[in-house]
Amino acid sequence: MAIAKAERLMNLALCLLGTRRPLTKRELRGSIEAYLQTGTANDEAFSRMFERDKDDLRELGLVIETVEGIDGETGYLARRDSNRLPPITLDAEEAAALGLAAKVWQQARLAGAASGALQKLRAAGMPVAEDPYDTPGHSALEPRIPVHESAFEPLMLACRDRRPVSFDYRKANAARPEQRQVEPWTLECWRGHWYLAGWDRERAAERVFRLSRITGRVRLRSGAFTAEVPDHVTVRETVESWAGETANGTARIRLRSGHGYPLRAKALSTRAAGDGWDELEIPYGHGLDAWLVEFGPDVVVLAPEELRADVVDRLRAVAKG
Amino acid sequence: MAGNAIDQTRRMLSLVTYLRERPGARVADVARAFGISQDELIADLDVLPLCGTSFRGGDLMDIDTDGERIWWHNPDDVAEPLRLAADEATALLVAARAVATLPGLREGDRDALLRATAKLEAAAGEVAGASSRLSVIFESEGGVFADVDRAISERRRLWLRYYSPARDEITEREVDPIRLFAVGRTYMEAWCRLSEARRTFRLDRVVEIKLLDDVSDPPPIELRDLSELSSALVQTGAEDPEVVVEVGPGGRWVAEYYPHDSADELPDGGLRITLRAPDPGSLRRLALRLGRDGRIVAPQELADSARDAARRALAAYGE
Repeated sequence: MAIAKAERLMNLALCLLGTRRPLTKRELRGSIEAYLQTGTANDEAFSRMFERDKDDLRELGLVIETVEGIDGETGYLARRDSNRLPPITLDAEEAAALGLAAKVWQQARLAGAASGALQKLRAAGMPVAEDPYDTPGHSALEPRIPVHESAFEPLMLACRDRRPVSFDYRKANAARPEQRQVEPWTLECWRGHWYLAGWDRERAAERVFRLSRITGRVRLRSGAFTAEVPDHVTVRETVESWAGETANGTARIRLRSGHGYPLRAKALSTRAAGDGWDELEIPYGHGLDAWLVEFGPDVVVLAPEELRADVVDRLRAVAKG
Repeated sequence: MAGNAIDQTRRMLSLVTYLRERPGARVADVARAFGISQDELIADLDVLPLCGTSFRGGDLMDIDTDGERIWWHNPDDVAEPLRLAADEATALLVAARAVATLPGLREGDRDALLRATAKLEAAAGEVAGASSRLSVIFESEGGVFADVDRAISERRRLWLRYYSPARDEITEREVDPIRLFAVGRTYMEAWCRLSEARRTFRLDRVVEIKLLDDVSDPPPIELRDLSELSSALVQTGAEDPEVVVEVGPGGRWVAEYYPHDSADELPDGGLRITLRAPDPGSLRRLALRLGRDGRIVAPQELADSARDAARRALAAYGE
């Protein structure tokens, strides 16, 4: 039976951490059972496996140095001082808070990484603490970060490693997707949806993309970023303006009493207008017309004229059926 | 949690560090510290004796267990605490920063999170930098959140005025809170005394909230796994009436916001979406909102009610 991958990786990690001098591929191959089993005839298979294993260990945080030997053979080692966790002391409260935080990821890769981080910290002496929101049988507070978009993981890695990408993207009101060439900067989750901010190479401008509108696969491109990465990227402001949360004026409406609570909650002023109606002044930004139409005959727009016309236009479309 | 070979390797590397410092550690304690089942731990302990820095001549780790306690007979100095990987630092830091933004979180917990975050950043060193490329914002109504939290910890019933967008009305009800959860927005799961059923309340729709002196006494119910909830959190069932909506390219967002049974492409770049709603009347708002970007195909009563509402609304503009 083939030796399990975890056992092979563990042995490679321990060999590299345990040695004081660089070990050659040949030496490692001769001392790790799983590599011996690949057979002496199959150099190709061993080399591929060895390269993949080193990459996997590096993903786990191991710093593996490559040293060119005098005899031309490459040696590898993981120095203790570059792999040691610096001293960190966390008290029970801090440990409990991190325990709560580590549970938020629902995405497999990050969930695994978060529990791996906690395990390293516990191994280094962090106390095991109770959930501060513990109630019988469950936690009374469960923050969760949803990740439903398949583009998330490749984009997360591309942001981390600063690699350009390309993907097909369908804008909100576009009939067909279009290919975009992007230097990805940051990913942000707002109201449960993920957004990417980056440099759009063809448009030569900063753009924000909603991950759920990426169709097909995200492809990594060779080469480096060409545009400078800004210190501060503001995804939220852009997305809020899409969502109509950025007001640049005010509107006056009549609202039937007892209706439209969310409009009332946003109102700058409200006064009774008689006959079972109130008059409100509300912030006016992109998308307000679509929202007001939802309230049907319980809302009448008074001003500005432009908003009134947009609402009437939308109502006519529905009235025609 | 056992997961793949990567997660197991990661865990075993920490496990040897942990065991080196704690000779005779109890299986139950170690499993708890590592967030795994005892069976998973035993499986790891089966692998470890096959591992070692074997280059130096067959020195495998002599780790064994009697099922109760774990002994490592030849502890090795190779087992030092390891630095955090970039993904590990990112996963924990991004999550800690996100939870710390929850308005209404107890101040003591927020302080502890911020202290822990600062220590982690320092310990992670340069790999902490990549964590700024990922961020999460939780939105919630701080005051309501804090009241619900207090009600749960003091086991008290809550009185609410709650806005229902489907009916565009505010109802009063008493509820026994069970838990708070955040999936983008923040919600309370509670037993509703009015409907005698479990209900999920979105905190930004709570108009008014009061802690009552009555003891909260929700019946024992099985908590749903949050990973199965969609971000829309609309509870629909296969027995609910079917609604068919046809949208143009400008109405494709409907498929992103409403859980649906199917969404078929139309030749003009639009979609034909089939969804289910316990009360199709609640979708009148959607029909009105869509305007020329879409229309209700079925049921006919819903399409009629939207058309009728639009005509009555137009009357106020003199049409």
